[in-house]
Amino acid sequence: MYRVELEDFEGPLDLLLLLINRREIDIFDIPIAQITNEYLEYVQLMESINLDGVADYIYFAALLISIKARMLLPQPEMDAEDDEIDPRQQLVDQLLEYIRYKDAAETLNQQLEQRSRLFTRGKASMPPEVETPEKEVLVKATVFELMNALRLVLEDAPDEETITIVPQQYSIEDQSEHIRRILFTKKRISFHDLVRGQTRSFIVVTFLAILEMAYGHEICILNTFDGNAFMIEQGVIAGV
Amino acid sequence: MEMVLEALAFAAETPVSAAQICSVYAEVATSDDIPTEEAVQEAVELLNASFEQQGRALRIQKWAGGLRMATTETVAPFLETFFRRERARRLTRPLMETLAIIAYRQPTTKVEVDAVRGVDSGYAIRKLLSLDLLSITGRAEVAGRPILYRTTDRFLEEFGLNDLEGLPNLRQAEELLGEANFDQERLRLLMANGIDHGDQKPVERTSDEDTTT
Repeated sequence: MYRVELEDFEGPLDLLLLLINRREIDIFDIPIAQITNEYLEYVQLMESINLDGVADYIYFAALLISIKARMLLPQPEMDAEDDEIDPRQQLVDQLLEYIRYKDAAETLNQQLEQRSRLFTRGKASMPPEVETPEKEVLVKATVFELMNALRLVLEDAPDEETITIVPQQYSIEDQSEHIRRILFTKKRISFHDLVRGQTRSFIVVTFLAILEMAYGHEICILNTFDGNAFMIEQGVIAGV
Repeated sequence: MEMVLEALAFAAETPVSAAQICSVYAEVATSDDIPTEEAVQEAVELLNASFEQQGRALRIQKWAGGLRMATTETVAPFLETFFRRERARRLTRPLMETLAIIAYRQPTTKVEVDAVRGVDSGYAIRKLLSLDLLSITGRAEVAGRPILYRTTDRFLEEFGLNDLEGLPNLRQAEELLGEANFDQERLRLLMANGIDHGDQKPVERTSDEDTTT
């Protein structure tokens, strides 16, 4: 199985905040069953393409399921003062704490940008070349958006009837070549069109090939307005 | 004193502390009246005021507990063009998050950072160490004696801070949630353009895309 290593992958807390935000849910009253299901959908998808760092997600999946189970208990748990314990409390606290530091990170980032506009002599400035990891600059979409696009396409894909173990039908190299040929004639194509009517393994390997090529600066990935699909085109996004 | 300050702040490659300036001054002047650090601070104000008055492009900044000469915001576009530098030298989001957690909680351990972020931060910490924004300050006296990290003077300098007191206050989550339109606006910002497009409706292809089939 191929492994995609995304060191800068957003974490499970980002995913949870995303799901909460998308449903415009009150963070203090999370419908655990619903969120758990949605969360697990993402995790299953991640497992299917074997993204690095899934372990962190599994931990939170387990946590969500355990909260869900505890909420089903007919007798709510009580703390020392005989108040009802909300099984969600710990998770909510963690989300809130995370929000604080995300905010702080954003503020610090602004500070860094402001400061970087003041120039000094000598080596007081950060060496610029180590600074900007291109892979994050290249992909304008977030990983979750890419995953979402992949998930929608996979839902449309015809199921493979029987489970036969075929030795790697498609390889990333072949798919890269395939994409290159297509991009040679068409400047830009949507992921959806690229894999229409193909099997799941074709789609997944193509998706991985796209990530590889974006990483290698060969193509760039553009998001469409609704975030449910993305386009690829040759070259690097100018001015990003 | 202003001249000495100006010269040292200009010539030094790192911020010079007021104490350093005092001792240099005293050693060279061989006089009995060793200037105080307050006198240095006063000289900073005077010098900056006269820079401003003369319309100069330089200011003395207080960074990382020292003094350093830097250009003003006004001329930034020219220098950026001259150095052909990426306008914003950004750190990636995971790096910023990790750095923020350590900055506010220092000294702290990787386990704590992991707990707040919910993911393994080993890569981010190594990267920040290599950028000299973090340093190892010892080991915690708890089971496993985990390594303690703190931010460096370089961190202060890069972020334009004089000391850790200068860090913007960590806001309460309740306050952040209480902000108008938090759900729609704030979270969206924090997610850096995450998906919040509501229902998972099937992909509607635009006519533009259709022509590619």
